[in-house]
Amino acid sequence: MINLLLRYINLMVITIAVLVVISFALPYFFPGDTLTNLSGIVPESDAQRAALEAAYKLDGSVFAQFWHYLNTLVNGNWGVSFTSQTSLLKEVSIAFPATIELITYALLISVIFGIPLGFLGGLWHHKPFDFGVVTFSVVSYSFPVFWLALIFITIFSLQLGFLPLSGRVNLLYDVPHQTGFILLDILRADMPNKADAFYDAIQHIILPTLSIAFVTTAIFVRFTRRSIMDVMEKGYIDAAKSRGFTTKQIFFKHGLRNALLPILPLMAMQISTLITNAMVVETIFSWPGIGNWLIQAIYQRDYPAIRIGMLVVSMFVVSLTITIEFLSRAIDPARDKFERGAV
Amino acid sequence: MAQFNLYQEEYHPSPIMHIWLEFKRSHFALVGFAVLLLFCVITILAPLLAPYDPNVQNTNAILLPPAWEGNGTIAHLFGTNALGQDVFSRTLHACRITFGSSVILVFIALVVGVALGTLAGMNRGVKSSILNHLLDSLMAVPTLLIAIIIVAILGTGLANSMLAIILALIPQFVHQTRNFVREEMKKDYILLDRLDGASSFRIFWKSILPGMFELLAVQSTLALSVAIIDISALGFLNLGAQSPVVELGASLSQSLEVAYSAPWLIALPGFCIFLMVLSINIVGEGLRSALRNRLIH
Amino acid sequence: MPLLDIKNLTVEIDTGNEFVKALDKVSITVEAGEIRALVGESGSGKSLIVRAIIGAVPDHWIITADRMTWKGQNLLTMSNEQRRVIMRREIAVVFQDPTSSLDPSATLREQLEESIPSEFLDKGMFWQRNKQRREIAIGLMHKVGIKDHDSCMQRYPHEIASDIAQKFMIAMALVSEPEILIADDPTRSMESTTKNQILRLLSALNESKKLAILFVSHDLLAISSMADSMTVLYCGQTVESGKVKHLHRRPLHPYTKALLDSAPSFQINLPPKSHLVSLEGTIPTLQHLPIGCRLGPRCPSARKECVKVPEERFIQQHAYSCHFPLHLPTGNDKSSDDTEDFNLGSSEGSRQ
Repeated sequence: MINLLLRYINLMVITIAVLVVISFALPYFFPGDTLTNLSGIVPESDAQRAALEAAYKLDGSVFAQFWHYLNTLVNGNWGVSFTSQTSLLKEVSIAFPATIELITYALLISVIFGIPLGFLGGLWHHKPFDFGVVTFSVVSYSFPVFWLALIFITIFSLQLGFLPLSGRVNLLYDVPHQTGFILLDILRADMPNKADAFYDAIQHIILPTLSIAFVTTAIFVRFTRRSIMDVMEKGYIDAAKSRGFTTKQIFFKHGLRNALLPILPLMAMQISTLITNAMVVETIFSWPGIGNWLIQAIYQRDYPAIRIGMLVVSMFVVSLTITIEFLSRAIDPARDKFERGAV
Repeated sequence: MAQFNLYQEEYHPSPIMHIWLEFKRSHFALVGFAVLLLFCVITILAPLLAPYDPNVQNTNAILLPPAWEGNGTIAHLFGTNALGQDVFSRTLHACRITFGSSVILVFIALVVGVALGTLAGMNRGVKSSILNHLLDSLMAVPTLLIAIIIVAILGTGLANSMLAIILALIPQFVHQTRNFVREEMKKDYILLDRLDGASSFRIFWKSILPGMFELLAVQSTLALSVAIIDISALGFLNLGAQSPVVELGASLSQSLEVAYSAPWLIALPGFCIFLMVLSINIVGEGLRSALRNRLIH
Repeated sequence: MPLLDIKNLTVEIDTGNEFVKALDKVSITVEAGEIRALVGESGSGKSLIVRAIIGAVPDHWIITADRMTWKGQNLLTMSNEQRRVIMRREIAVVFQDPTSSLDPSATLREQLEESIPSEFLDKGMFWQRNKQRREIAIGLMHKVGIKDHDSCMQRYPHEIASDIAQKFMIAMALVSEPEILIADDPTRSMESTTKNQILRLLSALNESKKLAILFVSHDLLAISSMADSMTVLYCGQTVESGKVKHLHRRPLHPYTKALLDSAPSFQINLPPKSHLVSLEGTIPTLQHLPIGCRLGPRCPSARKECVKVPEERFIQQHAYSCHFPLHLPTGNDKSSDDTEDFNLGSSEGSRQ
């Protein structure tokens, strides 16, 4: 177990090191003045330029620059945005929780609906219900997420007028920034019209969450359905049947665990898809998340922002993926040693 | 298939024929296959099929609705857009760009991925382990992020977005290939090859690769659907194909400004992407179950 | 009344293109307390019979039978729930491959304790029940000859040797104190020492608990050492069934004879370096089963009547399906002939 933990920590450290090195190298590849790309400030005088160069150790060796970069990363002194001239750390710390909030809800919906649907479909294989489940999963997996979001907007915002078009919460409500999760913030805030604000925030969050959740749910349905179908054909399920266990007992004690264990890491891999979709959906719904922020940054060629944004998002995804992979490996007694359901 | 057989002669179809026989038992898969073929035809023949040049602007006919609406004309089957360009021709060309570039980029990713995966799978030790672990964890980096960085460095454009998606797709192929190669290398027929003195390349080319085609076919359909969605997403975000190149995602985002007055301009490109991906997914799904059934029977 | 009574069981399986009768009018009975062996080459449908009995056959396969009863209850028409209750307490099965019959993600202890019917526990509080479960489990492990229960029970199935796993499977089968144990080739691919342990265990269970055993195997040596009666299967047809000693003395069906002859240990007067006897040809594939008696094309004494399926005929307890049985004149004076035969058989059979 210790061995396994060490291996995964090692993997995590190496990967994060690679990401840091890549992000360190980026400003030198971006077009334009390297100094501006690094600092986000266009030097107005030679003196300022010299000062900035000294600050970023541009006169020193590459290693000195890298060491300096590491220091700034750890200290939280991430530089300023090229366009807004505000601290990147602050911008990221506002934008990133918004994205995490969005994908958390989407992930929850996908897990709550996708996994049971997949199980039922797999258990009732070749029945009409299974056919419906498969059709749903193939169709919703095929939706381009931006088109789906546009359709949702057209139907629910423009035609029916049920739900708001964009943003996180109506500007009327002034929600103080605490955790970054809007729903939590509203609950914790000391506001006069808390209930209204909460309701309004929920209305705002429905469409973006659903647009993202659709695709992920489809993927989860696929994974679980395939996996449970494979597991239910295994010898130990027949053996359990021959022992006279009830169907419920067989499914919950033997089927569920064996079906879920191998697909856990696969689901963790979907966080990457989830983030990509969230980034696209954010721009459509003007959701003030990291995706929207990054896309705006690329439109404005805000290189310092791109660099930090890339590092933060990729580090988040990679460390989450590796952690889940480690956990699923740790709780799975027979990984790599025994054939089990695969997708 | 009621064929009269006088002799009890056994019919052993070749593996590919067998897959096809299993595949065509599913009507859905066949329909999906037909739609996919249609898109292939469009991709090849779009310039011949399109009645107008996609970028010619007809200022006399701006925002014409599709032909089946009251004031549409048959001259512009799907109407025209805000610049007076024929939507039908644009859609055909856009399908061509989106589908064609996706196929090309999946092919490139396939070749590179298989090469790297084979190296990783056949070698042991530090080199292979670093390659494996790094690629595995880099697989988790979102496609859009890679695309943003590439666009930041190289600027926007179809070729750059293709490059980004290739980079994002390669790890999957590497992963699959490596696992497959590693499993096969443990088997005895490879050991026999070894004992016969076959070189590593020969083992790969003659023994491992033929068994890998099915895996690669299924993986490619998956990758193709991802590639189409990604390339149109990049187009939609204005990070991909730039005008005058017509691309489905890009034309969708161009239509956003007139979404109120001309909703069909949003519906059409989106539906094309949807149909394309759907047909690929159905074919992929059919292929997978055909492969599975072939192993059962 | 026999415990398990199967008459003319036919199972048609789906090969993808058509339905094939993988089992064709198979009859088998198991009396209370006897060991019945089911013999046949691989692919003859032995395991399919087991699966049909326990109800683990895919739904779209067609099962028909004149009679398929468990203690008088019809197994074919009963509901899943009824069958489940019977499987829970009265019938136990040991499968071919022990490691794949165990849940890879649960420890042996969990799996064994899960199998203990709750009726076996006193109405204590839940923590007492856990202790009771543990005691029952340990007792069972000892009974099947696993000494170090502690180290064994904490393990996962892939961590134990396959013979231990098979003993463990038997322990799991015995936990509900069944009336019949269906052992589907439990000694397949085992070394002879461990195989003997398992066989001895099964015989001991049969003697001490009057446990009926349906022993499915192709291992004639094992069968002759433990079974009371046997049924021989060829390509999904029962060819002969009866007491083991009768079959050994006087096999009536050519296939049984070939089977017995092919095992050198049964031929007392086999000269050194002589050819072992075997039938010509190979077992037909499922898609190309011959009509009539399926042994027909390979049978040394086949005649044109053999294209009709022979009916099952009886000589006392000895059933056979052959138009031209060996050792029997096909003439009229049958009964006197075979009484003589069997008297002879039983007296000599006591030597074994």
